[in-house]
Amino acid sequence: MHTKKTRSWYLGHVSTGFMWFVLIAACVLVLIPLAFMFTASAMPARDILRLPYPWIPKGFYWPNFWNGIKGPEDDFIFFRNALNSLIVAGSVAFFTVVLSAITGYGLAKFKFKGRNLVFMLIMATMMIPFEAIMIPLYMVVMRMGLQDTYAGLILPFLANAFGVFLMRQYLITFPDEILDAARIDGAGEIRIFSSIVLPSSGPAIATLAILAFRSQWDSLLWPLLVVQSDEMKTIPLYITRYMAETHSDEGIMMAVAVLASLPMIVLFLTLSKYFVSKEGLTSATKG
Amino acid sequence: MRRRRGFSMERKKAMWGWLFVLPALVFFSAFSFYPIINAFYESFYNRNLLSLRPPRFVGWDNYTYLFRSKDFWLSVQNTAIFTLGTFIPLVLFSLLLAVCIMSIPRFRRFFQLSLYAPAVLSSVVAALIWLLIFDPRGLANQGMNALLGTSGVNYKWLSDTFMLRLSTIIVYFWKYIGYFTVLFVAGIGAIPYSLTEAALIDGANRWQLFWRITFPLLKPTTLLVSVMTMIQCLKTFSTQYLFSTSGAPTRPINVITLNIYNTAIKDYRIGRATAMSILLFLVMLVFTWLQLRLSRTEEVTFM
Amino acid sequence: MKKAFVLMFVLLSLVFTSLASAQNIEIVYWTHTDDNRTEIENRYIEEFQKLYPNVTVKRVVYEAAKMGDLVLTAFSAQNAPDLFNLPIEQEYGYVIHGRVAPVNYEAAGYANAEELIANYLPGTFDPVTLDGEIYGLPLELTNWSIYINDRIFRDAGLDPDVDYPKTWEEMIEISEKLVIREGDIIIRRGFDFRYPYYLVAMLPMVEQLGGALLSEDGKTAIVNDEAWIQVLEWFREFGPHGRNLGSPTYTAARKVWDYDNNDIAMCLSGFYQQGRLRIDNEEFFESGEWRVVPYPVFENAVQDVACSYYGHYLMVNAQASQEKQYWAWKLAAYMLDHPWEYLEVVNIIQPRNDLLEDPRFMELPYMDVFMNDMERGHIVFLHENGYQFERFIKEAVESVMLENMDTREALDILREKIQEVLDDTY
Repeated sequence: MHTKKTRSWYLGHVSTGFMWFVLIAACVLVLIPLAFMFTASAMPARDILRLPYPWIPKGFYWPNFWNGIKGPEDDFIFFRNALNSLIVAGSVAFFTVVLSAITGYGLAKFKFKGRNLVFMLIMATMMIPFEAIMIPLYMVVMRMGLQDTYAGLILPFLANAFGVFLMRQYLITFPDEILDAARIDGAGEIRIFSSIVLPSSGPAIATLAILAFRSQWDSLLWPLLVVQSDEMKTIPLYITRYMAETHSDEGIMMAVAVLASLPMIVLFLTLSKYFVSKEGLTSATKG
Repeated sequence: MRRRRGFSMERKKAMWGWLFVLPALVFFSAFSFYPIINAFYESFYNRNLLSLRPPRFVGWDNYTYLFRSKDFWLSVQNTAIFTLGTFIPLVLFSLLLAVCIMSIPRFRRFFQLSLYAPAVLSSVVAALIWLLIFDPRGLANQGMNALLGTSGVNYKWLSDTFMLRLSTIIVYFWKYIGYFTVLFVAGIGAIPYSLTEAALIDGANRWQLFWRITFPLLKPTTLLVSVMTMIQCLKTFSTQYLFSTSGAPTRPINVITLNIYNTAIKDYRIGRATAMSILLFLVMLVFTWLQLRLSRTEEVTFM
Repeated sequence: MKKAFVLMFVLLSLVFTSLASAQNIEIVYWTHTDDNRTEIENRYIEEFQKLYPNVTVKRVVYEAAKMGDLVLTAFSAQNAPDLFNLPIEQEYGYVIHGRVAPVNYEAAGYANAEELIANYLPGTFDPVTLDGEIYGLPLELTNWSIYINDRIFRDAGLDPDVDYPKTWEEMIEISEKLVIREGDIIIRRGFDFRYPYYLVAMLPMVEQLGGALLSEDGKTAIVNDEAWIQVLEWFREFGPHGRNLGSPTYTAARKVWDYDNNDIAMCLSGFYQQGRLRIDNEEFFESGEWRVVPYPVFENAVQDVACSYYGHYLMVNAQASQEKQYWAWKLAAYMLDHPWEYLEVVNIIQPRNDLLEDPRFMELPYMDVFMNDMERGHIVFLHENGYQFERFIKEAVESVMLENMDTREALDILREKIQEVLDDTY
């Protein structure tokens, strides 16, 4: 079935040339800024804002990376900050998946009074702009004594409405017969969930995990408020240190940008099928 | 007897349903419901963030103030411009690119990966890169000058009202075009081949095929993409924040979220800021509800 | 037997930890990033902790630009640091709202307020005095003058000894001679501002022309429209819609100035710039091919006002326990008791008499220019909402300079916004 689809299956060969042109042009445009980031990271600052931009660096300018890793205070805190980002994004991804799967399953496969209300309430949170609840949320976290801790960075993001939505939509098509058969065989609900439902939700889980991971890797505003010490900073905060007037140096900025993006790029290239594929988001329906 | 068993089975299932949903409800209560209710409460008070004095109840004052405030309406206008300016091109171009990708025989994955690549960068990195590109000496001016055959023209990417708005749209578009293209590709991929084949046998031409089969079946995906983009655009913050703190004028890109942030954190006016948040929240609620109403629910669940 | 041991161990450790926690005081100190200062202050803190083993100090640094937002959020959430510093124009609101505690003179090593005041330059404590109480100890007092790169001046055929700008009108003319463009795109700037700091660097321009931000009684916004319009027009003339000499969208002036990379000839900065220069570009620092000249005035100025000076004061959270407040002031005073090291290592000036009266002080490079400008200027505009006014001024200047808005319209918007804040009955 897949092999059939790989044929160009609905637009005539006459227009294929146009298709190629559009795609190649789009890719070039999209990739230029990335190429700029990589080439600029290898140049001393004085070359970067030159007219015209010298696309090919004259040799690799190591001090950008060395200074970028060393940090403005020569304490190599970069590694600790990178680790923090990994810990926070990783935990959020893991627990979001668990929580969303449980909730999505409950909403998709069980009928109970108030189910629709619960679903609507959860969906409504998708529309809450973070800036709207930033300060009340900050106060909740303070009251729990979680400032400057991993828990403070992780807990508020585990309740993910989109995750619940995704898992519910995915599981709603899960055949009831299989569940009922398992029940008749005497399997408990938790067992059914963990050994039947969860293993067959792979694609949705992978998609959600990556989504959650990325949004935390990206997060700036919340860590800005919750983190106090340099040791607890995450990578976006580390980068903003270089946007501050005193330390700004275009070469180092781009080197740090490259370093900060490397883990995501590696993840992207190795797990690209979960970022980009038919097994990705929408085809969840195929179950 | 059978009926009673069935009934208790139902009850047992209902209990399990609640048990499965409960942990999430706890989290949503603490980190979403409570803060938004608190925000709603705060919006009726006048509270100075710095003051130790108790907040003063002011009723609807914060709201009536906003409706009179030119600044607020400018933010509404900025948000509307950004949302429409981003959402329409994003949906159109990602659909176009998805159709292109599905129409070529090879390198589909390569194109998807390339288009998607910017989405893996964090917004801070994206803003950093584009700030340098939009610098008067940067690539944006060089590219435009080369393209239009001009020389040494400064297109004022970060200073002219129109160009600055365009710049923020470009950053957003750049970051998300791949993501939405991939969604559409998956959507097209999910259309059963038998349907397409049948249409082709019936003598439909490619154009008809797209409009009669592909597009209608893509409606759920389009709807999802639209809702997501719209909500994302209404919530846009980091690009505008980072640009306006790096030398670009604030007024043209003072979107609602940035206004909320500045009103709360810079002006200490929590009541006014939360009133603005509540209004934004209501607008988003209405948008989503409308979008969902416009289509039948089954189609959404098809997605 | 085993059980008894375990029980005793648990009990003992409980007693031990409770004793330790009863004695141990943690002081949280937030300050802005400054590499050299971090180095010496960490040393002082270590010494302090050795002197008083019951005190531990947690020193946390933030980028200067983000610090205001963070301290504010922390205070609003009742989670503020015990000791912190911010620019005085931001700290003023904390004093007004009673969020910071008065100086504990005994802890700081003074008999009373008079003795503290007598140790400092007259007027030092005026910005932090309210109802007879003093609310902060000065970490630094800074003003800005104009740094000039002699090499670029000579390259443009100018003699830095004579041709340096004395008036704002000359500033535009000289910048025009120094600037190099490719089309409209500036490759080398003559001069550029420090853009977000309008209260410090732009308001004095208005005052030179007889204008002011607020009336004497503080109830009316914008005094002397003509002065404001002339200054806003000056900014338009300077920006891309006028003579195209510089703009906030170019790289921050005083940073690129250090590199001597033919990017910019003049910038506005404080004495501390010399310390930064020595780190960034030692060759240029040693070359002596740079100088500092006074802050210019308008040709039609009605009074001579130089760039305002601003300060960072160490302040103590009023809601910290009495004990913490005591130790926080003691720590602050201990650190500040090294004025020469702060000057030599960090290049910041504490306005203490023992420092200012030292004969070595005035011999420091261009210190005379800075001190002279300080006499011509006054402390930065202070108001409970000053921080907010600065943002409104920023919007006005940007509207005129970058969006080419009519100056009168921009001024009217500015007036309306400030007036509204003034009229508000919070």
